[in-house]
Amino acid sequence: MSAVELEEVTFRYAGVDAPALAGVSLTVPEGTICWLYGSPGAGASTLLLAAAGLAPRFTGGSITGRVRLLGADPHAAEGRAALRGRVAYIGAVPDLQLSGVAGTVWEEVAFGPANLRWPVERIRAAVEDAAGRLGIEHLLGRRPSALSGGEKQRVVFASLLAFAPSVWLLDEADSALDAEGRAVVASLIGAERERGAAIVVAAEDADAMLAAADRVVLLDRGAMVFDGPPRELLGRELAWERGPGGTSIASLGRAALARCGSVRLAEPYPLDVREAVARWR
Amino acid sequence: MKLHPYTPFLLVLATGLLAFLLPAPAGPAALYAVVAAAAVVTGMTRTVLAAALLTLPLWAFLLLLHAILPGGEGLAAAIAQGSRLGAVATASLMLIRGFEPSRFLDAASARGASLSAAYLVVSTLEAAPRLRRQAAAILEAQRARGLRIGGSAAGRLRALVPLTLPLVLGTLAEVDDRAMALEVRGFGGGQARTPLDPPSVTARDRMLRWAALLAVMASAAWRFL
Repeated sequence: MSAVELEEVTFRYAGVDAPALAGVSLTVPEGTICWLYGSPGAGASTLLLAAAGLAPRFTGGSITGRVRLLGADPHAAEGRAALRGRVAYIGAVPDLQLSGVAGTVWEEVAFGPANLRWPVERIRAAVEDAAGRLGIEHLLGRRPSALSGGEKQRVVFASLLAFAPSVWLLDEADSALDAEGRAVVASLIGAERERGAAIVVAAEDADAMLAAADRVVLLDRGAMVFDGPPRELLGRELAWERGPGGTSIASLGRAALARCGSVRLAEPYPLDVREAVARWR
Repeated sequence: MKLHPYTPFLLVLATGLLAFLLPAPAGPAALYAVVAAAAVVTGMTRTVLAAALLTLPLWAFLLLLHAILPGGEGLAAAIAQGSRLGAVATASLMLIRGFEPSRFLDAASARGASLSAAYLVVSTLEAAPRLRRQAAAILEAQRARGLRIGGSAAGRLRALVPLTLPLVLGTLAEVDDRAMALEVRGFGGGQARTPLDPPSVTARDRMLRWAALLAVMASAAWRFL
């Protein structure tokens, strides 16, 4: 059974004729990182909201097709009850992901497990573990609202990690983090994959996702135009024609080709420094 | 030792009732003095000043209406009404400033109360500081884009639109985002949650609650019997 299954999903926002998602079918098995890639408005965020069962309930609009998370329908009340505490969704703005009721970071991280009626001792252990893995032990006594954007984002990750979700849906979730924070989160996501969680990530950073993702799904105006390994997309013209482009080294190779026209520079473009050195030396 | 989170709510309720039950003008004036003294004793002197500042325009209006303009009910009526407002405003501000959302939720969880209702109370009381933070951020952003706040009254009025519109729209948009964040964290669905550190009702809580109840009952008896 795949952890995430979308079958012919079409989504329209209210008052907009063009669908935000147009007949998207996608399955993500457990222990996989699936990267959603596309230009702004391509539909990656909408896909994550629809997969989480949050759209159209909170966004308005209409949806057709079939969505299943861990075998349950997140758009039905029974499905949502079955998925309680098993799915983590994180958006780009950490301020909006906080509960708003916690006086300290400790309480914020404990909020989810407490809602799941875990015993206090289990909650304490989960909070300590999550805080340690996100490197926020020193923040546990601070007020969440007084933290910086990057610190808040780490707290949000820890808050969801605390209940060990089986599915992570991440929408530009590291946008508020600094380089060190991104490295911590990348390591965490890798560890979650090893644990067997299914991870669907909408992200712009092609260089980082080249190494992290098992698979990339390129979206263009709500439709899937590529589904395969990142290496097969990011050095190809398709990444520029239907998406935001390839890696920074591939972009360099493409710019050089446009200027020189040398056959040695033709696509597929090298994706990283090692490949570029091997090819252009 | 902190009070149980329910106790301040009961005290504010009692203050509101006593403000109208006690004989005017001495009763409301004494009540105002007691509430202000309680605030000072508990280290909330600034709250007394904030409440006084908040009710200052109303005091001025009441004095004008009752004590200065012909046909008013006199200085005593102005003092009675002003004191009622002052007592309730001070008690309410004390409640807001001392409010701890997580302790209140824990208290509600421990008593098996509706978490949705508890969250409604929390979000209402937390709205003021949150709006203040958002307003400050919007002000900074609009200033960076060249918005001038000072100048004539008309200019200040014009500057209100680019400040309030994003605040209102942002607040409305935030409601859905917050609801999504809470659902993802397993909140709601009519289910109970584990109280992390359930507050206990101490002897001081009991004493204050009984004192408030007896004062309200005695005042009501005096008033209506």
